[in-house]
Amino acid sequence: MIEFLDVSKSYGATTVVDNLTLSIAKGEFCVLIGPSGSGKSTILKMINRLVEHTSGEIHFADEPIRSFAPEVLRRRIGYAIQSVGLFPHWSVAKNIATVPRLLNWDQARIDARTTELLQMLNLDAARFRDAYPHQLSGGQQQRVGVARALAADPDVLLMDEPFGALDPITRDSLQAEMIRIHAQTGKTIVFVTHDMDEALRLATRVVVLEKGAIVQSATPRDLLAKPADDFVRAFLGKDDYGLKLLSVEPVSGRMRSIVIPCGPQSVLPEDSLRLALSRMMAMKNNRIAVVDPKGSQIGTVFLDDLAS
Amino acid sequence: MTGGVAPILRRSTAWTRFAVGLVVYLAFLAALPYGAPVFSALFPELERPLYEQQSFVTLVGAHLALVAAASAIATVVGLAAGIYVTRPQGRAFRRMVETLSAMGQTFPPVAVLALTVPVIGFGFWPALVALSLYGVLPISQNTIAGLESVPPAAREAAEGLGMRPGQRLAQVELPLAAPIVIAGIRTSVTINIGTAAIASTVGAVSLGSPIIIGLNGGNTAYVLQGALLVAGLAIVVDLAFGVLAVRATRWRQVRD
Repeated sequence: MIEFLDVSKSYGATTVVDNLTLSIAKGEFCVLIGPSGSGKSTILKMINRLVEHTSGEIHFADEPIRSFAPEVLRRRIGYAIQSVGLFPHWSVAKNIATVPRLLNWDQARIDARTTELLQMLNLDAARFRDAYPHQLSGGQQQRVGVARALAADPDVLLMDEPFGALDPITRDSLQAEMIRIHAQTGKTIVFVTHDMDEALRLATRVVVLEKGAIVQSATPRDLLAKPADDFVRAFLGKDDYGLKLLSVEPVSGRMRSIVIPCGPQSVLPEDSLRLALSRMMAMKNNRIAVVDPKGSQIGTVFLDDLAS
Repeated sequence: MTGGVAPILRRSTAWTRFAVGLVVYLAFLAALPYGAPVFSALFPELERPLYEQQSFVTLVGAHLALVAAASAIATVVGLAAGIYVTRPQGRAFRRMVETLSAMGQTFPPVAVLALTVPVIGFGFWPALVALSLYGVLPISQNTIAGLESVPPAAREAAEGLGMRPGQRLAQVELPLAAPIVIAGIRTSVTINIGTAAIASTVGAVSLGSPIIIGLNGGNTAYVLQGALLVAGLAIVVDLAFGVLAVRATRWRQVRD
C-alpha cells in the first residue's frame, strides 16, 4: 500500500531521514516509534506530502506519490494529529464532512456518513452533531478528529501521536476504539507514537527508529522476544519488560479447561495475560476465571503457568 | 446546545443598540432644519444661526458616499495586501507593506489634500485619495494579525485533509480571522467619518462644509451643527459594525 524506496530527507546539511526502505502492506497497523528527533513524524508526513522527500521514491497504491496532485493524494489519505485541529467555527458534523464536501458528495450521502461515523466513534449523534469543538472535552474532540480522518473512507489512515495529549483513561478508551476500528474496517493505519505500551498494544508491526533509520521492524511479540540491540531493549524498558511480555500474549494461550471457583473477577480469552495477572493480584488469588462474552466460565488461568 | 437565551440576548442587544442609534440620528437629522429657534437662543449674536446652503440630508448623503467609496478602496487594498504578505510567495514584501501603510496613516490627510489638488484638481477626487490612503493601515494590519491568529493546528489539518490554498483561505483562515479584520475595518471607517470633514477644505461637499464655513465666518452654530452630525454618524456606523462583529463570532457564543 505504501512503499519507501531509499528515501532520505534533509534540511540543508541535517539529515532527518536516512535511506529509509520500508513497505507497509494493505491492512497493516504499522506503528512508528522512536525518541524525539528519530524522524518518525517526518516519515509520516512524507506520505501525504506535507513534507517533501529529498531523494528516493515513495509509492502509494503502486504509484509514485508525486504523480498525484497533493490535494488529490491527501483526500485519499486520512490524517489525524495530536493537536486535533478541528475547525473551531464549524459544527462537529461539518468538521467530519470536510473531505466528503471537498469531494462534492451530495448532502444525503454526507449526512448518512456523518451519522455512521458518530456511531462508530461512540458519539451520541443527537447531542454532538450540531455542537462546536469548544463545547467538547479533549477526548471527544479527538474522536471527532478520527471520524473526520475516516470520513471519505480513505485507503490509508495517518495518525501523528493522536492520543499524546489525552489523560490515561481517555487514551486507553481511544486505543481500544482504534483496535476495534482497525478490525472492523481493515484500514491500513500508520501511527506515530513515543509510547511503547501504546505501540505494543495497537500494532500489527512496530518499526523502531533512531536518528532517521530503522533499528528494528517486527511484530510486538518478536520485538519483545528478540530485541535487535540495546537501544531497542532500553526502549522496551527494564523494570516492566516482563509485564510487556505478558501484555502481548492473550489469555487463551495459557488457559486450562478447568472450571473451578476463582473469586469475583474474570477475564476474556482475548484479554492480555498482563490484565489476568493484575486481576489475580487485586483478588490476592493465584488463579482467575476465563469467561465467554456471556459471562459463563470456560476455563482458568493459573499464576504458575504465566512463567512457563 | 445551539441557540439558548444568552446568545440571542447578546445578538439582539447589538441590533437594538444599532436600531436605537439609527432612529435617534434620523430623528435629529429630520428635526435639525427646524432648529433655528434653539440655535438663536444658544447664539443670540448670530444673524443666521442655521446652516442653509445645502440641506443637511444632502450633506449626510455626500459625506457617506465619500466615506463609503474611500473605505471600499481601503478595504480592498488593505485586505489584498494583508492576505498577500501572509502567503508564502508574498512573505518577503511584508515589511514593505507595513511601512507603506504606516506612512499612509502618519501622513496628515491635509497634507495629502494639499499635494493631490495641484495634480487632480479640487472636489471629490483628492478627498477620496487622501481618505483611501489614510484608511488602509488599520485594515492591512488587522488582516495580518487576524490571519496570524488562526490556530496552527487548524491550518495543518486544512492542508493535511486536502484543501487547496484558496479553499484554506476562504473556508478556514478568513472566517477565523474575520473578527479581527472586521475590527480593523470598523476602526478605519470610523476614523474616516471624522476625517472626511476636512474634504470640504478642497471643495468637496461633506458634513465638513458647515464646519469650515462656520470657522471662516465665525459662526459657531454652523460648526456645532456639522460636528454633531459627524459625531452622530460615526456612532451609528460604529454600532452597525457591532452587529457585524457579533455575526462573525456567532459560533464562539454557543454554550451548552
